[in-house]
Amino acid sequence: MVERAPVLDAVCHAILLVGVACVCVPLYLAFVAGSLTIGEVQQVPLPWLPGDQFVQNLRTAWTQANFGRLFLNSFIVALGITVGKIAVSLLSAFAITYFRFRFRMTAFWLIFVSLMLPIEVRISPTYESVANAALPVQWLVEKLHLSAAWNAVTGHSIDIQLSWNMVDTYPGLILPLIASASATFLFRQFFLTVPDELCEAARIDGASPMHFFWTILLPLSRSNIAALAIILFLYGWNQYLWPLLFTTDKDMATAVIGLKHLIPRADSQPAWNVAMSAALLTMLPPILVVVALQRSFVKGLVDSSK
Amino acid sequence: MNLDRRSTLATLAISSALWLASAMPAAAQPVQVQWWHAMGGALGERVDELVKKFNASQQKYVVVAVNKGNYDEVINGTIAAYRAKRAPALVQIYERGFMTMLLSDATMPVQDLLDQRGYKVDWADFVKPVAGFYSYKGKLMTMPFNSSSPILWYNKAHFEKAGFAKPAETWQELEKQLYAIKQKGISACGSVLAGDYHWSLLENYSAINDLPYATKANGYQGLDTEFTYNKTSVVSQIGRIKKWIDDGVMQIAGQGLSPEQLFTSGKCSTFFASTAAHSGIEREAKIDWSATYLPWEEGKQPKNSTIGGASLWVMKGQKPAEYEAAAAFLDYLAKPETQVWWLKATGYVPLTNKAYQMAKSEGYYKDHPTREIAILQLTRGTPTANSTGFHFGNFTQTMMAQRDEFENVVAGKKTPQVAMDDAVKRGNEILRQYEKLNKGRY
Amino acid sequence: MAKPEAGLKRAHFKDVRLPVLLLLPQLAILLFFFFIPSFRALGQAFFLSDPFGNTVHFVGFDNFAQLLQSETYHESVKVTVVFTVLQNLLTIAVALVLAFASDRVIRGRGLYKAIILLPYAIAPVIAGILWAFLFNPAVGPLAHVLHAIGFAWDPNRVGSDAMILVILAASWKHVCYDYIFLLAGLLAVPSSLLEAAAVDGAGPLKRFFSIGLPLLMPTMFFLAVMNFVYGFFEIFAIVDAVTQGGPAGATNVLVFKVYIDGFVNLDLGSSAAQSVILMIFALFMTLLQFRYVERRVSYDV
Repeated sequence: MVERAPVLDAVCHAILLVGVACVCVPLYLAFVAGSLTIGEVQQVPLPWLPGDQFVQNLRTAWTQANFGRLFLNSFIVALGITVGKIAVSLLSAFAITYFRFRFRMTAFWLIFVSLMLPIEVRISPTYESVANAALPVQWLVEKLHLSAAWNAVTGHSIDIQLSWNMVDTYPGLILPLIASASATFLFRQFFLTVPDELCEAARIDGASPMHFFWTILLPLSRSNIAALAIILFLYGWNQYLWPLLFTTDKDMATAVIGLKHLIPRADSQPAWNVAMSAALLTMLPPILVVVALQRSFVKGLVDSSK
Repeated sequence: MNLDRRSTLATLAISSALWLASAMPAAAQPVQVQWWHAMGGALGERVDELVKKFNASQQKYVVVAVNKGNYDEVINGTIAAYRAKRAPALVQIYERGFMTMLLSDATMPVQDLLDQRGYKVDWADFVKPVAGFYSYKGKLMTMPFNSSSPILWYNKAHFEKAGFAKPAETWQELEKQLYAIKQKGISACGSVLAGDYHWSLLENYSAINDLPYATKANGYQGLDTEFTYNKTSVVSQIGRIKKWIDDGVMQIAGQGLSPEQLFTSGKCSTFFASTAAHSGIEREAKIDWSATYLPWEEGKQPKNSTIGGASLWVMKGQKPAEYEAAAAFLDYLAKPETQVWWLKATGYVPLTNKAYQMAKSEGYYKDHPTREIAILQLTRGTPTANSTGFHFGNFTQTMMAQRDEFENVVAGKKTPQVAMDDAVKRGNEILRQYEKLNKGRY
Repeated sequence: MAKPEAGLKRAHFKDVRLPVLLLLPQLAILLFFFFIPSFRALGQAFFLSDPFGNTVHFVGFDNFAQLLQSETYHESVKVTVVFTVLQNLLTIAVALVLAFASDRVIRGRGLYKAIILLPYAIAPVIAGILWAFLFNPAVGPLAHVLHAIGFAWDPNRVGSDAMILVILAASWKHVCYDYIFLLAGLLAVPSSLLEAAAVDGAGPLKRFFSIGLPLLMPTMFFLAVMNFVYGFFEIFAIVDAVTQGGPAGATNVLVFKVYIDGFVNLDLGSSAAQSVILMIFALFMTLLQFRYVERRVSYDV
């Protein structure tokens, strides 16, 4: 800083080391626990040095809880959320910032409202919606007496039964988690800071709006997209409540949910060793993502409208 | 063409395809029905074997067993599926859910279903507490499947070392024994608290000691039933448990530790738990164990215990052929041979007297005397109004409230009487909600 | 140059069909997976219904009245407030100390930052599982340490122990989030201000308290709001993994109670009413956030 204050510097280093220890010690202890046998992991106190069962425990978790499939599911869900949300939000943000049309403010408020309710508070009815996404349409069909209308017009009787069951499917897992406007707002904020000259130039050149979008706006948004992609991937990978309630098919659960089922409960063996090794494995992909892309990630978190 | 237009069209195409697909007639194949159950692990494997045996025994029907998680997850899955008009034909629902299922208008009474199709099931032969729990207006509404009852497991070596042949028959004597065992330093704890203590130590305590849990014959005679267990010795029972915990005679396992493990590892001398623990204990125990009847209060003539477990319900909204399949499978389950196979594989009790006699005549209980204790306890004497079972709406909710208040006692925050008074108050509010909703329908 | 309308670029396109088409995916998803479920959630709160939906009574505000009179609900509110406030204070305080230290230190700052950031990648449920294990009174290594020192640590029986455990797990997971913002804020303090103060004889601590901290106030307000949202909603996973709301409701936070009442107790009306109340609170918090921190964007909600 401005002057030299070695004592303070040393204290600061000490503080940071304590911070680092607070982060690392739990992870290290988890690693130790994950490397012991089930008998060893129950002994008190836990040994400070790891055992040799880590790979073995991982293998147990992998086969017992079908982690291979769960990992795949987590990847698909996380990627689905990332790609889906970014794609949908880019289009919406573009529409409400770059176009002047009658429904603009209505659309804006409709989207804004969705920021207000995290999925935890609308969980049960969301499940029903996903169990039969076509139910509202079916309700409409019945309310409008479409069957009777068809009969009257064509003389044929028809039974309209629309049902679209997305329970235990990837779209069912992904779509409700895309249904909020946080990403739209990020892009809206960013688009508002893009110099108007660029758009004016495009208009003068006679470019269509979509051409402007693809060739100018999108490349400019690259770093925002990258940062958001990381955050959304983490969000998708770490989702808990929705996959917990939603998937009952063991093959459709995510890694995080599979992990929950490995936690020793009152009526099962205290297999903390398997649970800990699986926990470490499950946190690995997000950690890799954060470590590898730390700079864009921090930039995305902090730097929204500079 | 715009991205969105393409995806919108794609969505419409998919929906129409799905709609058309569901409208296609089924090919002439065996009728398939789904059975959602909550049996995981080793029990799940037994279920799979059972279903395989049924499917192999005939050509017309195929049952597909799906493990949907634990009992809560199964009932929630069933509810959601039903609301989306896609309920499976058969579901396994815990015994506590009886009233919820009964008055839901979403199920087909099992006795009617089988009688209408000409299956000859001897409904009167079901063991009384089993039939009593699952009947309404004299008819079985659901097919009992995995029924159990709690018994007292004990460590033979510990008791012998302390100079006792086996656990006493009354709570008072048993308490003396457990304290003696602890004082002599023979074991770290006299007993360990099971996860379902509300069932083994409170509800069954009430039944065995012929105490009313609630008015209107424990709910059998009306929805306007009110809990009364805060006026019976259930309160002193809770006081007894708290005393044991405080004195270190009763151990609480806590999160991550299995109470059964504390027993099978030899740490604690006794374990009040379901007879269904047989498979686990037989496999895990490193000790010389045995089991006996649950104790009763001094001076009382013990009645029968009540059941726990689950039963199979048939959901409405199926096609006629699917009802046929469900009926055939339920008939198969009711057969004594099937029951005997199931009880040997799992440790659950026989549901009919015929099945019980069949197992007895095979000498099964001679070879496994502890497995007979639960069924003997269930068939002890004639059930009274207090020991027939419980017909409470929202039973899970009232049970959770009671457990909550029990935890307050254990934490020393409330006395047993105050806690049970509060539990009864909360429970009654919940019962009134159920009554309001279902007035005139019971 | 003033924009003609709020949120509209000065240079814009005039078209109706295209923007509507662009908005269709988002609005369709919102319709099916947000609006319809939210209205049904709202609606369900006014009914007494059997779980299967066949018997439904309209009861007006009865569910709400019952909730507001229910002692367990009061307990839950109290627990949630205590938890959120304590977790908020702990997280910001620790993050502030770490940010101050990181600001001063130049050597190894990158490495410190990278490691302290790690918990952000870890799912809340995993954080819960880790801490549940570490502090498990029977087998946990850190519980053993506590027992050795003389604390009768037992989160299975003592409510306050359970609460402490949940707070620790939640803060551990969330400190990095606050830390990143606070550090960025400190690094953005103009060095001219700091130099001027130093010339006047202010030491590093004094500079922090008189210059850095005041400049951080808007950030800290933003973080306080974000921490509240985190404490109210994202805590579900940790509670489910560690204490399941116990013992005796000591950690039965509102969002967990919604889940228990809805999915275990099958009391859909009460669960929906609780959701509505949570919705109102979330609405309030988002409005607050939007008004005062317009420039910042929330990613977690």
